[in-house]
Amino acid sequence: MIKFSNVSLVYPHAITTVIENLTLEIAEGELVLVIGPTGSGKSSLLRLVNGLVPHHTGGILAGEITVDGLSTREVKPGGLAHLIGIVGQNPINGFVADTVEEELAFAMEALNLPQEVMRKRVEEALDLMSLAALRSRNIATLSGGEQQRVAIASALVMHPKVLVLDEPTSALDPIAAEEVLSIIHRLVHDLSLTVIIAEHKLERVIGFVDRIVLINGDGSTVIGSAEEIMAISTIAPPIVHLARALGLSDAGLSVRDMRRATAELRESTPITDVTSVVPSSTPAIEIKKLSLAYGSKVALNSLTTTIFDNEIVAVMGRNGAGKSSLLRSIAGINDLQTGTVHIHGLVSKDLHSKVRRETVGYIPQEPSDLLYAQSVEKECEQADKDNQIDSGTTFGLLAQLVPGVSLHTHPRDLSEGQRLGLALSVVLSANPKVLILDEPTRGLDYEAKRSLTRILLEFAKTFNRAVVLATHDVELVAELATRVIFIADGDIVADGPTIDVLLSSPAFAPQVAKVMAPQPWLRVGDVIAAIEKKIL
Amino acid sequence: MKKYSQHPLTWWLWSFAIAISVARVNTPLFAIIAVGVVGLIVFSQREDAPWGKSFNWTLKVALWILAIRTIIGVSIGVPIPGTTLFTLPRIPLPDWMPGIRIGGAVTLERLSSALSEGVTICAIIVIFGAAASLTSPHRLLRVLPIAMYEFGVAVVIATSVLPQLVTSVARIRQAQRLRGQNLRGFASYRRVAIPLLEESLARSLDLAAAMDSRGYGVKRTRTKYRPISWRMSDTAIVLSGILIVGLS
Repeated sequence: MIKFSNVSLVYPHAITTVIENLTLEIAEGELVLVIGPTGSGKSSLLRLVNGLVPHHTGGILAGEITVDGLSTREVKPGGLAHLIGIVGQNPINGFVADTVEEELAFAMEALNLPQEVMRKRVEEALDLMSLAALRSRNIATLSGGEQQRVAIASALVMHPKVLVLDEPTSALDPIAAEEVLSIIHRLVHDLSLTVIIAEHKLERVIGFVDRIVLINGDGSTVIGSAEEIMAISTIAPPIVHLARALGLSDAGLSVRDMRRATAELRESTPITDVTSVVPSSTPAIEIKKLSLAYGSKVALNSLTTTIFDNEIVAVMGRNGAGKSSLLRSIAGINDLQTGTVHIHGLVSKDLHSKVRRETVGYIPQEPSDLLYAQSVEKECEQADKDNQIDSGTTFGLLAQLVPGVSLHTHPRDLSEGQRLGLALSVVLSANPKVLILDEPTRGLDYEAKRSLTRILLEFAKTFNRAVVLATHDVELVAELATRVIFIADGDIVADGPTIDVLLSSPAFAPQVAKVMAPQPWLRVGDVIAAIEKKIL
Repeated sequence: MKKYSQHPLTWWLWSFAIAISVARVNTPLFAIIAVGVVGLIVFSQREDAPWGKSFNWTLKVALWILAIRTIIGVSIGVPIPGTTLFTLPRIPLPDWMPGIRIGGAVTLERLSSALSEGVTICAIIVIFGAAASLTSPHRLLRVLPIAMYEFGVAVVIATSVLPQLVTSVARIRQAQRLRGQNLRGFASYRRVAIPLLEESLARSLDLAAAMDSRGYGVKRTRTKYRPISWRMSDTAIVLSGILIVGLS
């Protein structure tokens, strides 16, 4: 179906090639996963398929890519619209109509399909993606998961032979992600659709991919089955790390296989007690009767809770449950709220300038919102000046967080992980008493997530600080958080030590916990520690 | 959700007619009345959508333009004799530039002439802002002929990305407030402008790529999923506009 022959890609003014001499043939009905570190060229590879690269982005392409016999060299992306459906990383940026129905019809209208055909196909796609109830809704009012489904549906109405998805679940909560992926799985099996998908959270997709293309970032690529790639790749889901740690490398990639392989280990170990970290008794954040409404929609419903020093609290919940609202209220930038938030005795809403920087550090969903200078150097200098610390301190911090960032780079040219690192070092240079992060792991690869985990743990421990983060990433929560607050519809529905909250719901349980239940182990480290204790 | 009532071209045609008559009559009073009427229509008819807010923004921009124009108008140019309101310090100019002066006496006549010229121009800007506020850019695109492909893409990007930027501005300012930045003066605008510009560029490129890969502009003709019909009320609105032009 898709044929890459000796494909190389170079962007103008770049020093390195994105892809070098890639030869790959994808058969009809195959599900191919593209993995690689952030900024390695996954999106470029996906956009090569329908010719957006290089027709839309520039760049020099060598070799030949054909889709169903059509060469992307000769046909522009529009000419392949009937053949390839492509869903970008942020579907909201690509919507061209107001309502769900009109959005679905857009591409068919452009290709001049008769009205009867359009009617039928729209209905079909609405059913396929369970969108019938939302058909006349305004797209801007849909949740992230619903928008993702609309984007996929509007690709499917064209009856494409190939579907290209760029990180379709990165913004979704675990349940919505599960839903989208199971639909894709069904399409591959029922309609023999060819799917190419890029995804950072391998644990979500690894179970049903046929082949993996691993991009190393230096242009070289490795292609193989999931098992082959997982045997060599450093990018791997927790289950693979667990298998490696236990020496069960050929145990398979699914929770079921791993459970079978580890049955003996689980049963031979007495169920260990849960040892939860005791936080200090100094309250860092006191929230009292916090309510917030946007128009008639209630975002927060009279929340009361206290977060202590030294705690790392993960705020979880569905898309649109009120996580970001809560975080913004803690930071003190929601003007519409009622109720109070005190941070170490100070009202968070009244904080400003230096006192604010030293009291609460906040990393928004788009870390680049905090950045405005023309280079990393200027950004760091500004932070040094603001906080009256020795010049170079902020950059020193950055070099620790993400080594190898050049002083002269423009913040825009940094990878997602590097940009987060820069925003984080700017915020941390003031050494805030409380650190708040809104979905910090969006678009981060495992490596970047690991260093983020390390930094946050260190920060909380060394300075005895409270950290609050909103996230969908259960694996991150398992590694990092000491406490989880679960929000639904503006109410706190669960609040307790990470282990209790995560283990109480199968959808939110991390992979290691799924394999090791009923043992209360969340991380690979927990398993190893338990085994070592047994041997001793 | 409110159902669409008017054809996407209706309000644009009507605004165009009003703008023409404002320019023809060319009195500040008429211009202010026109803005008032347009404002009333916008507040009663617009939807709760990103583009609905463009009216408020053009209003702000227009006021800025009016202020700047008036300041320049009274301080630079040929003096008009009359009642002196106050006197600005005069900057001496070389002899070969007779008749033009910077600073000097500000007369009531001068102020009113600068203001009235400005009001007409600003009224026209606001009237078009109202059209943008009342019409979904996406629907507008669907009725534009496909031959206007490049123009169509530009219109959709300008009208759908720009209003989204209004929300982005709020978000970025909020984030920077958290960085403890003093949000006053020119420097603060630069700090918002840079992330904003980057974001809007990225968004526009995304949108253009999405439209392209969905086959926009491939075929010369274009079918309609739900034909947008031209109704009696549309005719009535456009006729009222033409009537106003005729009377002016």
